[in-house]
Amino acid sequence: MNNLSFLLPEILVVILGFGVLTIDFFIPKNKKWSLPYIAILALTGIFIFNLIFLWGKSDELYGGILRIDGYSLFFKSAFLILGAALIASSVDYVNKNLSNPGEYYAILIFTVLAMMLLSSSGELLTAYIAVETLSFGLYVLVAFDRYNIKSNEAGTKYIILGALSSAILLFGISQIYGLLGTTQFNEMAEVLRSNNSINPGLLLGFLFLIAGLGFKVASVPFHMWAPDVYEGAPTPITAHLAVGSKAAIFVLIIRFFVTGMMPLMIDLQIILVIIAALTMTVGNLMALVQTNIKRLLAYSSIGHAGYLILGLAALVSINQEGGMTLAFISNTNLVVNGIILHTIAYGISNLAAFLSISIIYKKTGNENIKDLAGASKASPFLSMVFAASIFSLAGLPIFAGFISKFYLFTAASVQGLIWLVAIAIFASLMSLYYYLKVLKYMYIEKSEIDNKIDLSPIAFVVLSILFIAMIFIGIYPSPLMDAIQHATYALTMVN
Amino acid sequence: MIELTHFQVLSGLLFAIGLYGVLARRNAILVLMSIELMLNAVNINLIGYSIFMNASESHRALGHVLIIFVITIAAAELALAIAIILRLYRNKSSINTDDINIMRW
Repeated sequence: MNNLSFLLPEILVVILGFGVLTIDFFIPKNKKWSLPYIAILALTGIFIFNLIFLWGKSDELYGGILRIDGYSLFFKSAFLILGAALIASSVDYVNKNLSNPGEYYAILIFTVLAMMLLSSSGELLTAYIAVETLSFGLYVLVAFDRYNIKSNEAGTKYIILGALSSAILLFGISQIYGLLGTTQFNEMAEVLRSNNSINPGLLLGFLFLIAGLGFKVASVPFHMWAPDVYEGAPTPITAHLAVGSKAAIFVLIIRFFVTGMMPLMIDLQIILVIIAALTMTVGNLMALVQTNIKRLLAYSSIGHAGYLILGLAALVSINQEGGMTLAFISNTNLVVNGIILHTIAYGISNLAAFLSISIIYKKTGNENIKDLAGASKASPFLSMVFAASIFSLAGLPIFAGFISKFYLFTAASVQGLIWLVAIAIFASLMSLYYYLKVLKYMYIEKSEIDNKIDLSPIAFVVLSILFIAMIFIGIYPSPLMDAIQHATYALTMVN
Repeated sequence: MIELTHFQVLSGLLFAIGLYGVLARRNAILVLMSIELMLNAVNINLIGYSIFMNASESHRALGHVLIIFVITIAAAELALAIAIILRLYRNKSSINTDDINIMRW
């Protein structure tokens, strides 16, 4: 019984998901507008419950399959709020395009459940099931616009490549299970520490695992699906792909690397360094030539995944001492702080960017950057939020993106990856070019057509909160930093 | 005498054949079948390790548990994939992966 109380947020989210699905059957068509508000209120309620009753607790459930600690509670709360924000930003889209909103919101809620499970899973099979739950929800949501050929195409590409990547991920898991005899992260770390020589089959398993997870976060050799899927998916779902799914997989990767793979980092760092360098440069270079705003943001989010992988590569600092290669983990918690902070800052900024473009482009239909001309006249508020989110993504001061990039890059250079940080800074300079190009169309180019943009109250509220959060984190990050340090501490104290 | 190596070779071959199928086939359904082949390669790998593992009973049983989950999730994944491909077929009258090219670069 005691165990169940720790899982109460997840259970409540499941009940909410099925509840929304059931209510959708029974209420008349003209009352269906209330569904998202029920879901938002319920998710906020579960968030408050999570904060009040579970904050500061720690336990491991079912022999370490699920871990309730500061780290998972922090991210569970973050994902609940993210879920509420995603539902709120979907309202306009759903009202305009879908006749049965129940399934859409229910599937969205189930993906929130999957993200919560990802943040607490301490074992590879559980993590795999959570990854698949998240991906299944996203496959359906990407292809949700049934009569839109672009959405169909995006869904087909996503599910075929997603299934391929999960097969690769599973092959990695099977190798790890076979050669280490366990799938629990902390037991894996113990076995790895006791073995001096590394089995090539095991290295293959870890490489397959990195490839599978790398696909899910769209890191460079495995990124080709991302722009197409981002472009074809409904815009709120694009936001989910870019923010929710990416953040959730990174949350899993951080826990897996820090608690399970630390002894192997000495062999794997070079691979992560290469992936990080490629992801940062290719993502930002490809964004330079895009004409579609969603594709541009897709490539920019690939670039941001590169910065986060740079953080993963910097988890250990490797030094040569007297012919011996030694790994130091003294500053690991700094780097983990940096990754978490950047995930959050990037998430907030990207969510604001996607939500504001989804409203600006509601009329035009296709999302060309040129169509932004005159948007600052049509809606100064939306343009301001979009500009702020773009500045934050580019990493300009007083916005959240500056603080997070500064922290992450500093931590990585403390760990000795200075030339990689130089590449990252160069990549963010490149990103400034295409970000400013978008703003040029928005603020300087004139448009003949006078298109008034109507903003629904719920979108206004969400955008205002995101805008304030971006600036607040940029100016005064210490409350958030305290929470993040608490989370990191729970993670790094395991070993 | 069948040993672990046999399982590994079979599984590796099956995985490689599946990967080749995914890369070479142009029909979306055949691509899905190739992915199924890769997942079955994973199952063979797991069962081989599970039989020959030098560990406690519970750790060996974990392999079987993994296989059951893999089978279940693979079935769900294929059902979903076929539903989505059916939508594509309704709108486009083709499931050739070369034809899904509205969005590129």
